[in-house]
Amino acid sequence: MADESKPFFPVESAHHVKPPPLRRAQSLTPESRFWRSFRHSELASGLILPVTSLEFSPVAPYHVAAACSAAVHLFDGAASPSLAPLPHSPLSGFSDVAYSPSFRCDGALLAAGGESGLVQVFRVDKAGPPLRRLRAHARPVRVVRYPRVADKIHLFSGGDDALLAYWDVPSEAQVVSFPGAHRDYIRAGSASPTSPEVFATGSYDHTVKLWDVRVPPGSNLLLGFSHGDPVESVLFLPSGGLLATAGGNVVKIWDIISGGKLTHTIESHNKTVTALCLGRIKNESPSDDGGEPRLLSVSIDGYMKSFDFATFKITHSMRYPAQLLSVGFSPSGNARVVGTSDGVIYMGMKKTKKQEEANGTNAASELDGFIPEPEKQVLRPTNYRYFHRGKSEKPQDTDYVIPRAAKVKLAEHDKLLKKFWHKEALVVALSKKSASSVVAVMEELVARKKLLKCVANLDVDELRLLLRFLHKNATSPRHARFLMSLTKKVLEMRADDIQSNNNLRIYVRNLKRMIAEEIQIQRSLQEIQGMISPLLVIAGR
Amino acid sequence: MIPGGQSLVSSPPVFSHDGKKLLVCTGCTVSIFSTSTGMKITELEGGHTDRVTSVVVVPVAAPSSKFISYCWTSSIDGTICYWDFSVPELIKKVKVQLPIHSMVIPNISCTPIGSSEKTSNHYAFISVEDPTISADENKAFRGQIQIYNLTKSRRVRGLLAETRKPELLSVSKNGEFLGITNKRKLDIWKIPSNDFRIEEIKKIKLHHTKKLTALAFHPKLRMVAGGDVTGRILMWIGFGRRKFSGDSQATNKKKNLTDEEKPGVRNNDDADSCSTWHWHPSEIKFLSFSSDGAYLYSGGKEGVIVVWQIDTGKKKFKPRLGSPLLYFTESPDPSLSCVTCADNHIHLLKMPTMEITKSIAGIKLPFSYPVGHKGLCTQVAYDETAGLIAVLTEDYCVQFFSLFDNHEVSQVQVCKRNFQPVDDVTLYVALVSVSLDGSLMGTVDVKIPEDGLGGLVSLKFWMRGSRIAEYSLSTVIYEPHSDAEISSLAFRPGHCMAVTSSFGGDFKIWIHNLGIKLNDQLHQKTGWRCQSVGSYKGRPMTAAAFSADGSVLAIAAESVVTLWDPDSNVLVAVIGDTHSPITSLSFIGNSEYLVSLTGGSTPQLAVLTTSKLRLSWSYKLVAEALSSSRDTSQFSVLVLLNSQCGIEKENGVILLFDVEDPVPVATWMVKKAKGGSLAFVPANPSFDEIKAMDGEKPSLLVYVNGDHEYIIFDPHNMDNRIGKSSRTSQIALEEAGMFGYASIYGDLSNLNPKQDQVPEITFAPSERPWETIFNGSSHALPPLTKLCSTFLASLIEKKPSMNE
Repeated sequence: MADESKPFFPVESAHHVKPPPLRRAQSLTPESRFWRSFRHSELASGLILPVTSLEFSPVAPYHVAAACSAAVHLFDGAASPSLAPLPHSPLSGFSDVAYSPSFRCDGALLAAGGESGLVQVFRVDKAGPPLRRLRAHARPVRVVRYPRVADKIHLFSGGDDALLAYWDVPSEAQVVSFPGAHRDYIRAGSASPTSPEVFATGSYDHTVKLWDVRVPPGSNLLLGFSHGDPVESVLFLPSGGLLATAGGNVVKIWDIISGGKLTHTIESHNKTVTALCLGRIKNESPSDDGGEPRLLSVSIDGYMKSFDFATFKITHSMRYPAQLLSVGFSPSGNARVVGTSDGVIYMGMKKTKKQEEANGTNAASELDGFIPEPEKQVLRPTNYRYFHRGKSEKPQDTDYVIPRAAKVKLAEHDKLLKKFWHKEALVVALSKKSASSVVAVMEELVARKKLLKCVANLDVDELRLLLRFLHKNATSPRHARFLMSLTKKVLEMRADDIQSNNNLRIYVRNLKRMIAEEIQIQRSLQEIQGMISPLLVIAGR
Repeated sequence: MIPGGQSLVSSPPVFSHDGKKLLVCTGCTVSIFSTSTGMKITELEGGHTDRVTSVVVVPVAAPSSKFISYCWTSSIDGTICYWDFSVPELIKKVKVQLPIHSMVIPNISCTPIGSSEKTSNHYAFISVEDPTISADENKAFRGQIQIYNLTKSRRVRGLLAETRKPELLSVSKNGEFLGITNKRKLDIWKIPSNDFRIEEIKKIKLHHTKKLTALAFHPKLRMVAGGDVTGRILMWIGFGRRKFSGDSQATNKKKNLTDEEKPGVRNNDDADSCSTWHWHPSEIKFLSFSSDGAYLYSGGKEGVIVVWQIDTGKKKFKPRLGSPLLYFTESPDPSLSCVTCADNHIHLLKMPTMEITKSIAGIKLPFSYPVGHKGLCTQVAYDETAGLIAVLTEDYCVQFFSLFDNHEVSQVQVCKRNFQPVDDVTLYVALVSVSLDGSLMGTVDVKIPEDGLGGLVSLKFWMRGSRIAEYSLSTVIYEPHSDAEISSLAFRPGHCMAVTSSFGGDFKIWIHNLGIKLNDQLHQKTGWRCQSVGSYKGRPMTAAAFSADGSVLAIAAESVVTLWDPDSNVLVAVIGDTHSPITSLSFIGNSEYLVSLTGGSTPQLAVLTTSKLRLSWSYKLVAEALSSSRDTSQFSVLVLLNSQCGIEKENGVILLFDVEDPVPVATWMVKKAKGGSLAFVPANPSFDEIKAMDGEKPSLLVYVNGDHEYIIFDPHNMDNRIGKSSRTSQIALEEAGMFGYASIYGDLSNLNPKQDQVPEITFAPSERPWETIFNGSSHALPPLTKLCSTFLASLIEKKPSMNE
């Protein structure tokens, strides 16, 4: 049962104004805790040329393809603790700069475009010459995309010649092609996650177009709308009903089911947004859905931002020391890669906990209905730890925690006041040089009717401390009223001592000067007031 | 009629013989509290008609008679009553005729109930006041100590002693010695074991140089401790060896001793030695030996219990009880005792550590304002909807006290300062006001300057928390009217608005702004700020009131009443002209009338109409308090009776007026009217009977007298039949406390050897496996998902067996 006798109150100045609470580092949200749980490293640093595109394989072990200069680098997603180049990496069948690697939905093949206008299809698991070469583009091909679902034989490509082609890969033939699909370079494209025949393209002519190859030729263009800036990246969101486009320094989210209505604009980047990708954040509690989806965007300004498109809020942002051109997030959720313009690929690997691994082994035995109890050494009274058992016990979630009453920390002057050593308390406070605590002690002494007695009892050294304090603080507006009258009282009471001591006389001279200054200030303030008040009267009319 | 707010501290409380109950004298009744819950169990009423002064519990001997609980009580009305306090029931009443101020029954422990001995007579030593001798005579002996045979209900002839005034009697634990403090000496009598004749009783005196105020006998040794006004404690060891030992031979032997050293003993007193301890800076109020005789407890005005180790003189302290201490009582249970504080609190202490386990809180007593205080002297405010009274206390708190339940609800610390009872008042809470719905509270505290230095008036606004009477500080305003004192504080009904009026000649209207929530951050700028300032001809503003609907603000500017529009701060009208400053203002219900009280040399009670802006009618009366009913057009005034004769100064009259009619509707005579106050409170919903009786006028009148005792009555119902019976349902049930061994080590586990032999029921295969699979306690049972496969498998196995 709590002791109901009153707590001890330390002295406090009446005008003591608490300083505004310091901007404390905001406690981490679960989201930022997730993003901070990645271990950062450089995946590849000697590539020199920009890493224009990064792509994760859609199937385990989630290889990564990075397009940089005249090669597509492949990294092994199964490697632990960080990604490592596959033995046959890089794929070098390119005569010029390679662009836009894209995995087939089963992860077995990889298609990539290039500066030469040739689209090539490679095997992922083996080195070797390209399996297929698709020739149609006359200018560099920056967009090559396999459909995301259940279609293994088609892909589409878009190039700087504004040609959009839909290929039948085995026969290396175009099924449909749209010459002049856009009026400028096609630089972005995304396949719909729900239907293999629908895809979106974005171009430097500011427009985003949505295509369907099923319908008869001529009416393939489903939708077109203007982003407002040259489009750098286009991405279908997982539902297939929303489309995110990046261009300029904005990312826009469109509702394509309702005919291309703009639903949200994210203006959080300062420079051109270069790439978009989807990520999922996993909660601490393991759930089946793989976590909430996030839209990741990277920009020339060096920031990667995570956007929650369920609530339309930026949930996290991260800074990198270079201009970012590409981003990728592993479907497994434990790796993300970011490519920069100076040829560095930054990687973040989720720190895996050993416990989780242990859980994995347990899971198997749990199925048998038998849980092995971890063997624990029984503590005996001969053991030293026996006497400390239970000391570091942590409360469980269900426990009701009774907080221990916070101990009042007593300052030196509080302890002295408690003993009724009034003069000593005043001297200690004066020597501590904290104005508010000195005033607090003085006010407490007033409440005990002991202040003047204390002043009368101060010896010369202590009086010097008091005069110095008064000289410093008597004009501070917060305490001025109290301290000015105290100064007057002190000078009246101790006039004899002051006259007989040279040191003290110096302090009094200082006080005099301070008062002259204060009068000067007051006078000028009154002048200003005199100038302002007619103006205010005029303004009031 | 519900009385309440009685003083718990008029005389020392007494524990029952099992230590589970505490008997406290509360006015003319004795209240019995449970020591485990601190709640009132029952009350001994109907026996006494005046203040009960002492209680003596009859001890029991045999455990068989554990449930018998009897006590004797004495009262100022001159009777001694014998009670069975477990029932509670009055058994016997003895008339003494003289007011009894103290009573002890020394040999009561020799013949406890239940012992097989034949019960002898009970003799009570009573300290009575002789009212025939007037107090004016300088040398008169008004106090007498008499002996009374309680069994035969007659007085033993002769007086034991005569004193100036009735003294408090103390008796040693075994009933051997009786003592009083008599000016600068202790008078001690040795009580004979059977023969009670005045001539036979021997007496010694122990002298000191200061006035003695407290004494205590050691429970075992021949040792007595006395405390004096300067705070010294004197311990006389081996007193009365010469005189009390009886035969003359021993006296001669002891005579030799007198020539030897008797350190510290004055005037050749009959004691072996006398030692002095000094810690207390002021008068000692109580001294008490612990039951084992190893420690002495002492306390006084400074509110610290000092525990002296008798052998070594070492001290331990229990500080910060927050009030002067009055009594200390040990219970038969060595781990429990109680200390009584002057602020009407009894704290139950857990003994070796002196932790407060429970507090029995009465209403806080009024305190005296310092000399310079100008404002109103009412130290109370009412939260009418909740039936609470807010009382200002000396230790910078506001105590909320439930009027109907007669117990403390909460305390709000207004100033964060350590209260020291020895100080003369330098800081005090001057005003408290609670808004009509109880959601807001305003307090004003004043710090008195020392020689013109460091004075401070601060106005504090409080917001109620989730529970009734739980307030948290919202805004502090230092020096709201520069250094002028605030005369009144009122809240506007239905709005977050308050007004303060000051003697400095202005009033300020404060409003509460909720501020703007800045994008989800905690940066909230809420608080009270001044909306407008008004003044009338620079006159001191002495009172303020809002009308019931909050549309009009009335401010008394010394002798006239000014009416203001609170929103636009525009002076609407000026009414009346009295000769002295108005002290109190109130609107009457929803009517157009306004009542003002005027103090000073020409006191007046005036009713003003706001529609015609003139005086309606007035009386020349010294009124102390004013309260108006909210829903009817009635108001009541507490009038001090004309105080020419001086004796009747305390008496007063409550007048109930209807506003249209200058003839009072009803009149009641009351005592101790000075400093009293009045309020109309709505009848508590628990009063079902009353609502049934008259549904339309449920409001009751509360009268709080100068000692903060109060009475609640129905002003319209003359027979005053507010049943007390409906309140008794709130009595707390007693907890079953643990004693002795069990209280230290807990209950012994019930060792049952048979239990071990019962084999645990295990899964036994049977014809119907599902019965055994799901058998067992739920925490040991594996989850159903795991049992499922076993269960299904068992079903499958069953098939072939059936086929066979």
